[in-house]
This record gives sequence, structure tokens and C-alpha cells, in this order.
Amino acid sequence: MNKLYRKIFIAIFVVPSFLILIGVVFYPFLYNVVISLSNMNLRHITDWHLVGLNQYQKVFTEPTQPSFYDIFLKTIIWTVANVLFHVVIGVFLALILNQSIRGKSVYRTLLILPWAIPQYIVALTWRGMFNYEYGSINLVLTKYLHLPAVEWLKNPTEAFLACILTNVWLGFPFMMVVALGALQSIPHELYEAADIDGASWFYKLKNITLPLIRPVMIPAITLGIVWTFNNLNIIWLVSNGGEPSDSTHILVSFVYKAAFNLYRYGYAAALSMVIFVVLLVLSLTFMKKTKATEAAY
Amino acid sequence: MRFVPVFVLIFASLLAACTPERDPKRVVIWHQMRVDERVILEEQMKKYMSLHPDVHLEAIYKETEELRSGFIIAAIAGQGPDLVYGPSDQVGPFQVMNIIRPMEPLFDTSWLNSFTPKALTWYKGHLYQIADKLGNHLTLVYNKKFVQKPPETDEELVALCRKLTVDTNGDGRTDRYGLVWNYTEPFFFVPFMSGFGGWVMDDSGHPTLDNRGVIDGLKFIRDLRDKYKVIPAEADYNIADALFKDGKAAMIINGDWSWSGYRKAEIDIGVAPLPKITETGLWCAPMVSPKGYSINRNVPDEKIPLILDVLKFLMSPENELETGKALSTMPTRVSLYSDPFIENDEILKNSREQIEHGRAMPVVPELRAIWDAMRPNYQAVLGGVKTPEDAARDMQALALRKIEEMNE
Repeated sequence: MNKLYRKIFIAIFVVPSFLILIGVVFYPFLYNVVISLSNMNLRHITDWHLVGLNQYQKVFTEPTQPSFYDIFLKTIIWTVANVLFHVVIGVFLALILNQSIRGKSVYRTLLILPWAIPQYIVALTWRGMFNYEYGSINLVLTKYLHLPAVEWLKNPTEAFLACILTNVWLGFPFMMVVALGALQSIPHELYEAADIDGASWFYKLKNITLPLIRPVMIPAITLGIVWTFNNLNIIWLVSNGGEPSDSTHILVSFVYKAAFNLYRYGYAAALSMVIFVVLLVLSLTFMKKTKATEAAY
Repeated sequence: MRFVPVFVLIFASLLAACTPERDPKRVVIWHQMRVDERVILEEQMKKYMSLHPDVHLEAIYKETEELRSGFIIAAIAGQGPDLVYGPSDQVGPFQVMNIIRPMEPLFDTSWLNSFTPKALTWYKGHLYQIADKLGNHLTLVYNKKFVQKPPETDEELVALCRKLTVDTNGDGRTDRYGLVWNYTEPFFFVPFMSGFGGWVMDDSGHPTLDNRGVIDGLKFIRDLRDKYKVIPAEADYNIADALFKDGKAAMIINGDWSWSGYRKAEIDIGVAPLPKITETGLWCAPMVSPKGYSINRNVPDEKIPLILDVLKFLMSPENELETGKALSTMPTRVSLYSDPFIENDEILKNSREQIEHGRAMPVVPELRAIWDAMRPNYQAVLGGVKTPEDAARDMQALALRKIEEMNE
């Protein structure tokens, strides 16, 4: 009897979260799969029917401007550039903050600030800073560095670069906090032992620090990849919805535009599924290659 | 084990909270009004509730695009607010998706006739929106400190802008521009395109973008920037707005929604109709659209009388006049047009003239595809990547393709 009670007790704890998962993850996901196989759009919003893989075919072959492959490439550049800078800057700052320096808590607070400001505000502030004539970035470039002003938001490459710069600024604190936590959990004895053996700073970094923060950093980087790949806000707000001429889109902002600007729900669902598969494959490969699930000690 | 019933209770109440019932005495409005409009709406709602203590009115703000997509999702799922408020162009997609209710059978004709016909948005033979404000239109707003007499033609505009664009401290940077506006957005290009004789679509909703109006309009704006250098090299809505508010621009092209903000910033503004293009003899015609209420398809019949009562109250001449006085917006009740304030207020008078020069914003969903086709090509001209002729041709081709994609 007691065993039965125990089982019921466990079930009572598990069932609510399971139901919530069904409601907010499994059901929407399956619904998205169904829509991606349908012709749901402005004209068929309630009377939609399944049309097989038509929408998927359109995703890969429709002559959109820019094409799916261009946007895909841009998304990869966007993700790699962002995550790379996030990790490098984050770990670098964490290493500095992990030393015994004066006023550490002040620096730490200041460095976490970008993370604490709402993304919306950050994006629009940076957009203002990138203005050709009145933006602070060009003012610094022209007035103090005597360099020519850059047309940040008017040219495709510069506009995309502006988005990346904004997101780098926004994203490094997360990696810094994670790396700092990992650094603080490394037993001090390891460094002492290395010191006795006469190990150099670089040797300790390479053989103690980096391997021991890896198990923490890999999941954080995986998360970073997924978040950055799907980061609609920054692209949308800094480049004002893909400007100039829809040339700054990444896949997710392109989906947003297809779904909500032109009411192409079936097409947008299919494109979302493609993004999902890409991300799944990317994350799994990354986890497998880096042996993320293996213990460090 | 005595916790078990507690968990069951909590869980059951959670489930119950997830399935709300439509309260017959609660009316929810989703709107996209800006702050000063919202304040007035809420005061008027409070007034209604004090007269009808058993009724609860609730207004929820959503940004225009979010309102649109949110309402579509909610209404298709059989939910959503009772009333949805916004510019008339949302009527097209809402009607096609069958999520708003025809209104003409619900109201008596005499009440409907008390509105200017421009306030009633009919689409495919039915009335789908009744507006409390007319306009949402662009005008020329000028700072009286710099401009005594607003320009009436494009030539006067250019001459005045050249006079007003100055570098006061001689550092080679312009300190004040003659004119600013959000010129990268096609909605703000429409007046020039129409002034040069073009329009976005014909009566059947077919795009008409490859024409002289578009080409000459594009050239005109490009000249203002590159040849006469009287507008900034780059300006979006926020930059243009900030420049005008800071006195770094003498004139701005902006909509009726912006006027009260400029007055709050203590700028002595004047409002004038956009100029006439000498070459064509046509006035620059901005899009004019009423802003008003539509009824959610999911509102049950027994609730309709309450909804009608609320609408009649919110759009009563007294309330419309109050709003008009506070925000300089054009009311829609015919009886108000002879009101001394509406007749004589300088801003409203000029606004009315601009509305007369303007053209009604099409309500068909195809307009979305047209904007989407215009934007990249228009920006390509401004970025120096395309000639106006190529851009006009590409706009047309892209619009046709996007409409086809949308309607497939």
C-alpha cells in the first residue's frame, strides 16, 4: 500500500509538468509540423488542407530575394562570428576577474550591465549610435580618429556588421559569468602543484584552466549557438526589419517576415522546420565532437 | 500524504484558470493608440463605467503589427477581444480571414448617416469598421521660428529648404536641415509618387508601380538629398523626429499622430498641406485612412447590444470633440464639422485641406505585398545601387510575385 502511495505521490509531482510540456512544447511542435505540410495562408486560414512537401520545396527553390542559401550562409556567419567573440571576450574577462584585483565587484557589475538592459533598448540605442551623421560611432571615427565616416545602415555589409557588433556587446556577459563560475570551481591545489613543477602561465592555462572549464563552457556555447541562430530581436531592430533592401536577414527574421507580413503560415512553418533540423544537427554534432557530456575529472 | 489533496486542488485550479469564459458584462478592446490617445480613451471608458457600474471595459495596447498578428491568432482560435481598433487597412486581411463581423445590420441607418462616409470602411459589400478619427495622414509640419510662410509648390519647397539648410559654425557640417522625414519608408514616399502622377494600385488591386510617378518621385527625393543637400544623408523615423524636436530641422513630413508631441516639446508648429508638383500640377497626395473599431466575429449575439452601446458612447459627438480638441485629430461625426473649434482651429483647418488632397488608403491585403516590394527597391535607389527606372520596374515585378505568393 505504501508503495502505491509513493507512486501516486511521484505521479502527482510529474504529471503537472508533463502536461505543461505537452501544452507548450509537444503540441505546438506537432501543430507546426502539420502546418508546414499544409497550404495555410491568408486565403486558406481556416479551410487549409495538407499539400505534402510543397512548402519545403518552395523553401529551397523559390526565387526569393535574397535566396534561402544566401540567408543560410549569412546566418552561419552571424552565429559563428557572434559566438566566437562572445566566448573569447567572455573567457578573457573572466580570467581577469578571477585574479585578485581591487574593485573586482565593481568591474563585475559594470561588465554584466549589457546583459541587464532590455534587448529592445540596447538595439535601438545602437541603431541611433550607427547613424551616419549624428551617431556617436561616426563622430568618434571622424572627430577623434580622423577616419572617414562609415555608412553603417545604408550598405548591406556594414549594416550586417552593425548588427553583429551590437550582438557581440550584448552577448559576452553571459559567457563571462559562466566562465567565471567554472574558473572558481577549479581546485586551487592543481595550480599549486603546477607552480611547484615550475609550469608557466600559458602552460597552466592550456593544461589546467581550459580543460577544466570546458565541461561548463560547451553546454553554454551550445546554448549560445541556438540563441544566436534564432536571435530575431537584434537583426530586426538594428537593421529595421532587414534594411537596406532585405539584405541583413538571417533565417529567423526571414521567417518572421514571411509569416506575419505576408500571412504565409504554411511556408513559414516549413522554413521553421528547416531551421529546427539545422540547429538540431549542428548542436548534436557539436556536442558529440566536443564530448560535452563526458566528465572532466 | 496529506499534501496530496492540496496538490490536486492547486492543479485543478490551474486548469480552471486556463479556460476563461466570456464574461457577458466585460468588454475588451485591443488598440494601437499612442500614449496621449490612450489616456483620453481610458478616461472616456471610466466615464462609461461610472454610468454603467455593472459593465467593465478594458483596453489593451498592442503595437500595430503585434495587434494584427495577435488578433488573427486569437480570433481564429475563437478567442480575442470584443473590439479591435486600428487603421482601416487591417480590414482587408481580417475580412479575408473572416474574423470580423459585418456591422451594417447591427446599427440603424440614421446613426451610420451621422458619420462622414469616409469614416465607414466598406469592403466587399459590407461595413467592417467605423472610425472615430479621420486622417492618419502625412502633412508638412513646420517650426514657426524658421518658417513664416510654408511652401505651396515643390519649387518653393526646394528654394525654402536651401535657404534654411545652414552650417552655423562653419565646421563643414550642416547644423540645421531645411526638411527631414522618415524617407526610407515607402509610406512616406507615397505623397511624392502621387504628386508626380503615380499611385500604388488600380481599382482592381493590381499594382501600378512601373510608371513615371514612381520614377520622378524617386528622382525628386534623391535630388533633395544628393543635389540640393537639404535633407540628412540618413534618416529614419526616430532620427527625423529628434532633429525636428531639437530645432535641427525647420520642417518635417509627419502624420497627425505627431503634432501633440511637438507641441509638448514646446515647438511652435504650423501644419500645411504637402506642396503641389509644378510639373504635373498635382498636389502631393498622402494616404488617408480612418482609424476605428471592428467587432470580433466571435462575439456572441447576446453580447452585441452591449458592444453597440459602448461604441455609440465612445464615438458620441461629445467624446469625439474632446479627443479632437486634445489631439488635433479630425472627428468623424458630421455634426462636429460646424463646431467653432473644428472649423477655426488653424491646425485642423489645414489638416482638413490635406485630407482633401489625399487619397484613401486601399484596404485590400495586397497592399502589404506592395509595400514589401517597394521597400527594398526604393532603398536600393537611395543606396545608389539601382536607377529609379530599374527600381520602378523591379518593384512592379516583385509586387506581382509577392501577391501571387500571398494568394496561392
